[in-house]
Amino acid sequence: MAVPGSLRRQPANRGLVSHCTHHHIVVFLLTFFSYSLLHASRKTFSNVKVSISNQWTPSCKNSTAPELQPFELWNSSHLFSNAEEATLFLGTLDTIFLFSYAVGLFVSGIVGDRLNLRWVLSFGMCSSALVVFSFGTLTEWLHFYNKWFYCCLWVVNGLLQSTGWPCVVAVMGNWFGKAGRGFVFGLWSACASVGNILGAFLASCVLKYGYEYAFLVTASVQFAGGVIVFFGLLTSPKEVGLPELGADEDEASVEEDANRPLMGNDDVDDDDQNYSIQATDNDNQPKAIGFFQACCLPGVVLYSLAYACLKLVNYSFFFWLPFYLSNNFGWKEAEADQLSIWYDVGGIIGGTIQGLISDVLQKRAPVLAVSLLFAVGSLFGYSRSPNSKPINAVIMAITGFFIGGPSNMISSAISADLGRQDLVKGSSEALATVTGIVDGTGSIGAAVGQYLVSLIQDNLGWMWVFYFFILM
Amino acid sequence: LDLSNCSLHSVPPGLAEATAAIVLDLTENPLTALPSGSFLGFIQLQSLVVPPALECPGGSDAWQNVTVDRSSRLCQGQRNPCNSSVPLAWPCPENSVCAPDGPGLIQCLCDSPFHGYKCLREGMFPMLLFGGILGTATVSLSLLLWGTQRRKAKTP
Repeated sequence: MAVPGSLRRQPANRGLVSHCTHHHIVVFLLTFFSYSLLHASRKTFSNVKVSISNQWTPSCKNSTAPELQPFELWNSSHLFSNAEEATLFLGTLDTIFLFSYAVGLFVSGIVGDRLNLRWVLSFGMCSSALVVFSFGTLTEWLHFYNKWFYCCLWVVNGLLQSTGWPCVVAVMGNWFGKAGRGFVFGLWSACASVGNILGAFLASCVLKYGYEYAFLVTASVQFAGGVIVFFGLLTSPKEVGLPELGADEDEASVEEDANRPLMGNDDVDDDDQNYSIQATDNDNQPKAIGFFQACCLPGVVLYSLAYACLKLVNYSFFFWLPFYLSNNFGWKEAEADQLSIWYDVGGIIGGTIQGLISDVLQKRAPVLAVSLLFAVGSLFGYSRSPNSKPINAVIMAITGFFIGGPSNMISSAISADLGRQDLVKGSSEALATVTGIVDGTGSIGAAVGQYLVSLIQDNLGWMWVFYFFILM
Repeated sequence: LDLSNCSLHSVPPGLAEATAAIVLDLTENPLTALPSGSFLGFIQLQSLVVPPALECPGGSDAWQNVTVDRSSRLCQGQRNPCNSSVPLAWPCPENSVCAPDGPGLIQCLCDSPFHGYKCLREGMFPMLLFGGILGTATVSLSLLLWGTQRRKAKTP
């Protein structure tokens, strides 16, 4: 992807360097960290699953031993009668979160277009922080445990968090033009993984005080982030009188699509729409193609299924890894959290390196295939990994490398390759539809996968399910 | 606490509130059995007299001295079941220690510094410190960024 673009990019490169002001740096950092904080609060939930299920269940006992006394200390919480039911409910929460997130993405793209991005983003961050706070901390302080309350709060959280991605991508698109975008966006798209790492780190530090404090910490940091974004973010250069970036670029939208690489694990659909409307007003009028036409494009179905499976695996790891580690090996939850950081580290490195390799080779499919084969191998190795922390960390990083990498590449490759097809040239809204389909399938696959994971008791059992998915 | 000759057929439910009793007399009552949980919380009970047909609650190992005569059975001197030579059938879960809870009965209380439901929580969260640091950082970053970025912004 670098080769055909670079010839046209040389004159613009000088432009990039010359107009990189401190505003650009601040915008980069603010959007980077605001999305990381959103991801961090999601990660907190998965890291404290063990503690939460302990809180919700009475002490388990052998049938012969009498109940533990005092009763209030050991058995008074009867929200779920045993740990398996609690696990099932946690899986359900993940599923409804992903569904409401997917729905929210559609809405947020439209909303972000019509309202000021800064308001939408900081409102989303602050209110999501409040919801997470009441989910984790208030319920514990008030000792109010209610399944429906948790479900409703989590649905609202999914809707609010979905405002984050389209807004930050739109703001980045406003400030950083097509030139040099590859590098900047590549670096920037690590924000999701950084958020995971941050969330895991915060949660593991605070977990010993009680899981409600983990939620308190991430929620308040996210709220603070929302406030800082409100006071410090400039949504587009024209707010300070700098030249609007769309004016000096009149390339065909093919190049625009081709230069949107390495967008992290998450959903890319409505940010495309925002970007196209705000920054390229002198492009051809975008023509949206029909939903079914988009489906019939070659490669869409194949890529979406592959992406769905990958996203399923990726999100299953994301949501369930700490739980698996502490259940299988009996490690303390805080240690399991710290180790699950390695998975994300592998994902960052994998995404960057594999993106670079496929850029150089100009071909994506071989890189994807090779990496998926290695992913199979590493998953196999992981399921057999011994109960020792350094080895587990290394294998986990390798697995993250081989799963996160293709995931990133598919989400970017789709926008690039499909954008080059003749049917879709000049039509970035069609692209949004297509990426929406692919990502939607991916999210639904991920959502279904959460439920499956919590249903299946034996962990080794689901490793084999993954093989079948990945080998497709 | 003297409950003798009260025609009790079973342990009265109100007995559970009398946990501060040191001496308890249940003789001359047609009691059939003493369920094991009836004496929960009676940690100060030193002297218990029951009809001779019944066993001392917790068994003879739970008391230092058991005397039986025609009309009553006297159980004296509650032993701490946590120290007994017989190892406990079920040790207390993690972060908790055994404490006596009545004749032959144990409870598991949280070992300090653990507290909370199931003794899962350790120590106290430094709320003031955390709030102070976060508040200061937020205010200073917001002011700094507002000064450098948004002050020059013109609303479109």
